[in-house]
Amino acid sequence: MLIKIGDWLDERFSWREVWEAIFMRKVPHVNWFYTLGSATLFVAINQAVTGILLTLYYVPTPDHAYDSVVYITTQLPFGWLIRGLHHWGASAMVVLTVLHLLRVFYFGAYKYPREATWITGVILLLVVIGFGFTGYLLPWDQKSFWATTVGTQIAGLAPFVGDWILRIARGGRDISAVTLARFFGTHIWVLPATLAALIGIHLYLVIRIGITAVPKKDE
Amino acid sequence: MDKSEDKQFGRRNFMKAAIAGIGGLIGAALGLPAIPYIMGPALQKESDNWLQLGSVSKVELNIPTLFKKTIETQTGWINTEEEISVYVLTSNGQDYVVMSNVCTHLGCRVRWIPEKDGFFCPCHNGVFSKDGTVVAGPPPRPLDRFESKVEDGVIFIKRG
Repeated sequence: MLIKIGDWLDERFSWREVWEAIFMRKVPHVNWFYTLGSATLFVAINQAVTGILLTLYYVPTPDHAYDSVVYITTQLPFGWLIRGLHHWGASAMVVLTVLHLLRVFYFGAYKYPREATWITGVILLLVVIGFGFTGYLLPWDQKSFWATTVGTQIAGLAPFVGDWILRIARGGRDISAVTLARFFGTHIWVLPATLAALIGIHLYLVIRIGITAVPKKDE
Repeated sequence: MDKSEDKQFGRRNFMKAAIAGIGGLIGAALGLPAIPYIMGPALQKESDNWLQLGSVSKVELNIPTLFKKTIETQTGWINTEEEISVYVLTSNGQDYVVMSNVCTHLGCRVRWIPEKDGFFCPCHNGVFSKDGTVVAGPPPRPLDRFESKVEDGVIFIKRG
């Protein structure tokens, strides 16, 4: 029965071909460092799932942000787990992305013909850091408020355009309801859309070109 | 030749099973807590303490009398004050009936109009008699009643 359904779908979608292209492709004999990219993707999926769940209760206004976070953490069944996964996953995401980048760098895997994969990867790192920066403000506690004060102030130090960047980031001179709302919007719409698009390109290139072998001593 | 192929096949199947098993475990660990997380607030039990309405001395025989009570409720992370209104009716000064003012049709609030001797709902012209039975309009059942008790001339209800 299942095979029949599979066949019916395959006739229309050719999904087996796609499956084989993605999962049955030939890979060189590699080592554990090559799993860092997959690990990053796994944590990214974790962030997406737990992030979506958090938006069911989180409210991005100064009046309610902190209270709704406390409610999630202390009142809801498994709220501590969902938030904890998102919180620690955020750090894991940055660490894994950087380790993945270092692996690619030291193994020389960014060279021809994989430059585009490298470039999208570097932009992805910036997106991940953007996630971290915007997400940090959302609990709206003392730590996040002052961390964002400092972070946006640093952006304000850029020559000539600094003040302009600071005002755009904060949505005005000070950190306010406007800042919280735009950080939230950036965190859950702008960055995820960017991330999804870039991961799509990144993975397409990885599958299309194939991965590098471990470099030999004389290379 | 045959043997090595058998071995390959075995290893491949083992890996498949391992991936499905570990993947399923991780999926369950992430997915299952999401269910109570989403349903939590819906399943939360409302407090079923007795709620003091007031003295029954103002309730006249056979006239539904309005009692208002402000109660504090916590919805999610917000504490709200909510005013509930109920009608108390007695036919003998001994037994009291406490009726909700929520129309059983679609939840609008009904009002007792003494001149017309009925409860009237402004939304779809539902009409109830003084004991809450449906007289006219779309309401499917009589006005809901609260469990109540009278102690020392003070009436209490149970919110359910």
